Amino acid sequence: MAGPIIQLEEVNKEYGKGKNTVAAMKDVNIEISAGEFVAVLGPSGCGKSTLLHVMSGLEAPSSGRVLVDAVDVTLISERDMPKVRAQKIGFVFQQFLLVEHLTAYENIEAVLWPREDITKIEQEERTLSVLREVDMLERRDHFPKQLSGGEQQRVAIARALVNDPPILFCDEPTGNLDSKTGENILKIIAQLNREKNMTVVLVTHNHDIAKFAKRTLNMKDGVIR
Amino acid sequence: MNFRVFFKSIKFAFRAKVRVLAFILIYAILFIIVSKGLTNDPGQWLTYVGMAFIVATIYAVLISQFRRRDVSIFKCIGWDNNNVMLLMVGEVVLVSLSAFLVVFQVSIEIIGFIGYFGASALLTSIQDLLYVSPSSMAVTLFVIIGTQLPGLLISMYRAMKIPPMRALREE
Repeated sequence: MAGPIIQLEEVNKEYGKGKNTVAAMKDVNIEISAGEFVAVLGPSGCGKSTLLHVMSGLEAPSSGRVLVDAVDVTLISERDMPKVRAQKIGFVFQQFLLVEHLTAYENIEAVLWPREDITKIEQEERTLSVLREVDMLERRDHFPKQLSGGEQQRVAIARALVNDPPILFCDEPTGNLDSKTGENILKIIAQLNREKNMTVVLVTHNHDIAKFAKRTLNMKDGVIR
Repeated sequence: MNFRVFFKSIKFAFRAKVRVLAFILIYAILFIIVSKGLTNDPGQWLTYVGMAFIVATIYAVLISQFRRRDVSIFKCIGWDNNNVMLLMVGEVVLVSLSAFLVVFQVSIEIIGFIGYFGASALLTSIQDLLYVSPSSMAVTLFVIIGTQLPGLLISMYRAMKIPPMRALREE
């Protein structure tokens, strides 16, 4: 079995100060191997999204170590973190988070614009390839407002894939979708894990969604049980 | 500088049509006022430069405000601060140059109309109101670019400080 691609050691995350301190994560220890599909399951407000943000370097932990693909993200400066995110991590959020004034194609290609090591032609080829993968090639010139929720989430998945990262973080990816569309999105994510050996970490409050994962971590009150 | 990001940011800025067109118009008016002020009333140059500075600064701060969501999304997908700053620069360059070209074109049209139809009272009054000579246009462009810099720095600083988490928290 492959070694851990994500490792959390005694990670704590607190918000606020003094009496108003709220512990969102308490002494969390997790190891996720490359190619795993892990679901973090827990009720709303249990700290699972915080866990995902800390794992991905979007938020710094209050204490502890977070290693992503052998890189300790807690030691990386805010200035260098975008590079790590761009190379190693793809995100899929519940709110899709697409840029309104960019077309589906541009939303995906935008990930590659800062990459001076990739030619313009290769950027275009990669973008078209991931659009094809999520079956959105024909809708590539549409703006997010012209797309359904399911289509927007497909674009968000394509955007997460275009840099070919080894890890995909999904934060309630079906939360804003009807059940049938949600199932299709989960099938795409499961397929990526299976066929590309992509490590997937998905947080959800829904037990049915967690069934798509190979391993489930239960979280309650900031603690992994 | 990443020119691909810069040119894309100009294209991207133009998609915010209402905001960009409104500010191109405001900048064009500013261009004419500052240009005429510097030519006709050179003793009051500080007032006109100050006016340009205030408008440019307000606009720069507004851009960083309007672009908060986009900036945090771009940061989530791996853009660094240098690329994010080019987003601000792209919009400012687009608006400033477009306003300059609008005033330039209007001035040429006025000269053309006067040459073709003669200096009627109407055309003369339009000329007094809108025409900017090439020399004062060059000086004004220089002034506008100069007054733009502090505002641009503010907007770039504000954009740098936007955390990638903001888009997630706001939705």
